[in-house]
Order: sequence, then structure tokens, then C-alpha cells
Amino acid sequence: MKSSLKNMVLVLLLISTITAFLVALVNDLTKEAIAESITKTKNEAKFAVLSTSASEAYIAADTTRVIGDFNINVSTVARSDDNTIIGYAVEAPSITKNGYADRIVLMVGFKEEGDATVINAVEVLSQKETPGLGANMTKEGNSLERSILGINPAELTFAVTKEGGSFDALTGSTISSRAYANAVETAYAGYLWATGRLNTEAAVETATGSTVQSDSNLL
Amino acid sequence: MKMMNILIGENISAEVLDGFATGSVTVQAITLVAIVIGAIFVNNVVLSQFLGICPFLGVSSKVETSLGMGMAVTFVMALSAVVTWCLQNYVLVPLGIEYMQTIAFILVIAALVQMVEIVLKKVSPALYQALGIFLPLITTNCAVLGLAILMIQKDFDLLTGVIYQVSTALGFALALVIFAGIRERLEVEDVPMALRGVPIALITAGLLAMAFMGFANVVPLP
Amino acid sequence: MSKLQIITKGIIKENPTFSLVLGMCPTIGVTSSAINGMGMGVATMAVLIMSNMAIAMIKNVVPDKVRIPAFIVVIASFVTIIEMLMQAYVPALYASLGVFIPLIVVNCIILGRAEAFASKNSVWDSALDGVGIGLGFTLSLTVIGAVREVLGSGAIFGYTFAEGVMPLLFILAPGGFLVLGYLMVMFNKIAKR
Repeated sequence: MKSSLKNMVLVLLLISTITAFLVALVNDLTKEAIAESITKTKNEAKFAVLSTSASEAYIAADTTRVIGDFNINVSTVARSDDNTIIGYAVEAPSITKNGYADRIVLMVGFKEEGDATVINAVEVLSQKETPGLGANMTKEGNSLERSILGINPAELTFAVTKEGGSFDALTGSTISSRAYANAVETAYAGYLWATGRLNTEAAVETATGSTVQSDSNLL
Repeated sequence: MKMMNILIGENISAEVLDGFATGSVTVQAITLVAIVIGAIFVNNVVLSQFLGICPFLGVSSKVETSLGMGMAVTFVMALSAVVTWCLQNYVLVPLGIEYMQTIAFILVIAALVQMVEIVLKKVSPALYQALGIFLPLITTNCAVLGLAILMIQKDFDLLTGVIYQVSTALGFALALVIFAGIRERLEVEDVPMALRGVPIALITAGLLAMAFMGFANVVPLP
Repeated sequence: MSKLQIITKGIIKENPTFSLVLGMCPTIGVTSSAINGMGMGVATMAVLIMSNMAIAMIKNVVPDKVRIPAFIVVIASFVTIIEMLMQAYVPALYASLGVFIPLIVVNCIILGRAEAFASKNSVWDSALDGVGIGLGFTLSLTVIGAVREVLGSGAIFGYTFAEGVMPLLFILAPGGFLVLGYLMVMFNKIAKR
């Protein structure tokens, strides 16, 4: 078709309007279903990281700590038959470290065995890392997960092994692995916070000290 | 007992504790130097992020044209950084229609390229002669859209965003020019029939990407 | 050209990866494993069929000078719509393919086919062209992914046979270029005989 200014503007405007309308319509139609499926996966993960299911357990308490743009959500999961607490499922993003592409959000299950706490299981809720490299953190039995399962988080050092930490990095994905360690750290802090044991008093003074240190690293 | 020696929560870093104490978190700021070096060398847009490969393979057979293409891309990316950043933060976010991002960005970039072409033709015919032929190719250069989306994802402010995009484009230009230099040499060599054209270019690019891997861990990445 | 030919030409004669050399960015970017390559191929095919049909429908009312912007808007809308639909109704599939979908917008195959085929042919033929090119793309990506997975991580379709002994290089960026380059050499040798 021949182009004139009038038909060019008209056609472009028309196409943009129709497609924008269609996209908005689909967004409206799917918004609820998407939110629902996200909540559903999250809920399933809450039970899964404590090796239980919705049929034999329920969420006894739910508390959220908002830090900046992030939500750290701690759910207390209890057994349906005798109301004993099975453990805590904590949804936490990597708050101070980015992955390769974006933040990593984990669901970490903490179980209490006597005085000690152990990490029962970890599920990756959202990540946009490189397929085949960082994205391997979603695979079952990956090195990151293996290096922390069944371990008391109080004994962990939240860094990758080549930096003196406890996390076996995924091959070729140090940045993604660092963010993963950071998310587990945040989840642990969230768990302690929810159970009233997080000592934040000392935070402010030590924080300034370590910032100075990391700045000098860059030079 | 051994367990008693472990202080609960002692291993949590000060930054995370601080986040819980104050309810806000400051992510360690990335220095501009790290962004520039990272975007040009470590995370080179073509050789490690796989964006803009089509013009990389198509245009880069002469050093001069590669330089022209590199300049044109740098120019467009600097403009697109400003426009897409404003579009995201002053239009899409306030209206709550972030899901329109892809459509809005690609439309704006296409319009931008056309506008640059028209303005350049009128204002500076000399510059148009130098850059003009590359401009239509840039609309389909996925690096421009890809970087616009990455810039938003990384939550950069406007200035950092522009610097990030310009350095990325410089990285693109660098890869293009080095590559063209190698290809100029290849033209006079006796390359086996089946390897001629794209295959040898891809293999050369692979070797170049290997060389660029040496830059990994030079700076902390954004 | 017969209907069957439209489909089969995309696999060898007009193979988008090895013969037309289109859509190199996702080709190298996502093919670190066979299943990823296949996922990207299928997602691209879905968008390609729909966008080809839509563009064949509107081809007569779009003025020449604004053809490209108009096509780009249509393609970007389809990608966004497909992403939202998948996220809502097949969340499991979305979880495994989700990261690839936004990348489809910048895949020059889609715009390339819109320009070269859909803007000149009927709706039905354009759909078939989408199927053919989509199949060719899926096949190429799966093969590249399989080769890189075998060489780089000692596995095939996620089934590991040699852990930790293979050169990781093949999963990283240089391996993508090298494997694609050498596969193209082999394709040229075989197809042009």
C-alpha cells in the first residue's frame, strides 16, 4: 500500500490502540490467575521445604518483615493432628547481593531438633540466572543445596567456598552462588527475627566498620 | 558441649542485620569505574551476553565501517537510555502498566532511530553520510532493546544508566573493530571452502570470546 | 510451491540457523543444554505462527514506510500475551520456559519471516511457513544444545554420564560460538553436496 502521512499515522495509531487494548485485556483476564498460581506455588513450597504437605499440616502463624522493597515472610508450620510445630518456612530474597541477572528468592525450611536448628530443604522461588549455569540452582541435589542441607545455620559461613564460606558454588556461576548464599543468610536472619532471637543491637556499629573495609577492597 | 560455643546468629553479616534493624537496606554501591570496565570488557555485550550478534557478523568485515557502526550504536544507545528510563519511571510505573514495557520500549526505540535519521539528514549531512547507512540496521539490533530492559532490571539511576549503556555500546564497538581487523586478514588467507563466510567468523568470535574471558574477576560486577 | 514444501523447506533448505543465519543471539544464548534449546525453539515457533498469521491478515492495510514499526508492535504484543497466558494457565511450563519468552521479541527470525514471507503470502501459507521455520529452528537449537551439553557438562537431556570431567568451556560463551561454527561447517558440507 502507498504511504501518505495521513494513512501512516492512522494505521500506526490504529494498530497500537488495538494491540494495547488486547494486551490490557489479557492482562486483566490473567492477573488473578497469575497471582493465584504464584500464591499456590508459594504455599506448596512452604510445606515442601519442611517435608510435609497441606493434607497433614497447616500454617499456624505468618509474619512478614519489610526491608526496603523486600518482604521476608516467615510461616510457622504445625502438624494438623497434634498442633506441634514442625518448623519454619522462610521466604527470603538475596537482599544485599544481586544474582547475575536479578535477585534470587528462596524458600528455606528450618527445623528445630532439640536446641539446634537445621536447614531441612531449600526451594528456589524465583531466579533469572543463565540457563545451564546459574539456573542450575533450581535442579534437585545441586552443589549449593547439598552443601547446606541438614546443617545448623549457626555453623555456616555465608559465602562460597573459594572465599572461605560454606557454600559449594555452582560450576562457572560464582555470582549466582553468592546471591544464593545471601538469600539463605537473609532467611536465617528472618527465622531468628520471627522467633525473637535476632540481636540487631550490635548491627549499626559493626555495619559502618565493614562498609569502610569493603570500600578499600575496591581501590 | 560443642553446641554451646556457637552464638546464635553470630555469622549473619552486619549489612543484613542492619536491614532488619532499620527496615531499609543499602546495597553496596558499585563504582562507576566498575560499571564502565565491566560493561566494556568483562560482560562484553557481544562476546559474553550474546546480544547484537547479527550486526556483529553482518557488518564487521572492514575496520572503517565497523567503527561507523559502533559510533552509530553508541549514539542511539545513549539516547535510548535517557528515553526508556524516563518512559519507565515517569509513565509506565506511575500508571501501573509495567507489563507494557516490551511494547513501549521497542516502539520508542524504532521511533527514535527514525527520528535520528531524519534530524541527522537535515542538520548534519556529513555525519549522516558517515552514520546514515547503519541507522536502519539498529532498530533490529537486539542489543538496544536488551540493554534498555537490563538497565531497568538493575535499578540504575538515570546518570548511571546512561553511563552503563554508553560503555556497553563502546564494548560493542570494540568487539566489532577487533573482529573486523581479524576478518580483513582472513580475507587474504586460504580458508577451506566449507569454512568460508559465517562459520569461520563464528569460530573467530569463539576464540575472541575466550580471550575476553581473561577479563573475568578484574572488577566486581554490577 | 506445495503446502508440504512450505513446511519442509524450513528444515534444510531454508534452515533459519544454519542456512539463513537468523536469530543468532538466542541460538548462542540459550543452548547450554538440549532441553533449553528445545524449549526456546517451541516458544519461538508458537510466536512465529501467530505473528505470521496476524501479519498476513493486516499486510494490505499497512503503508510501506511504517511496515517495520507496525510489525514490531504486533510481534511484541503477541510475545507479551503469550507470556501472560502461559504464566496464568500453564505455570509449570512457564517456570521452565519463562526466561526465554521476553527474548523472543529481539529474535530477528520473527521479523525476518514477517518481512520475507508473511507480508507477501496468504494467512494459511504464512501459518505453514511458521510451522516449518519453527521446526527447523527447534531442531537446530536442540542439536546445538545437545552437543554443548555433552561436551560441556557430560550429560544429555539432563541425564549425566560423566560428571566434572568435561571442559566447562562449551557451556560458556566461547563454546557457543565454536560449536555453532563447526556445526555450520558440517551442515554446509552435507547440505551442499
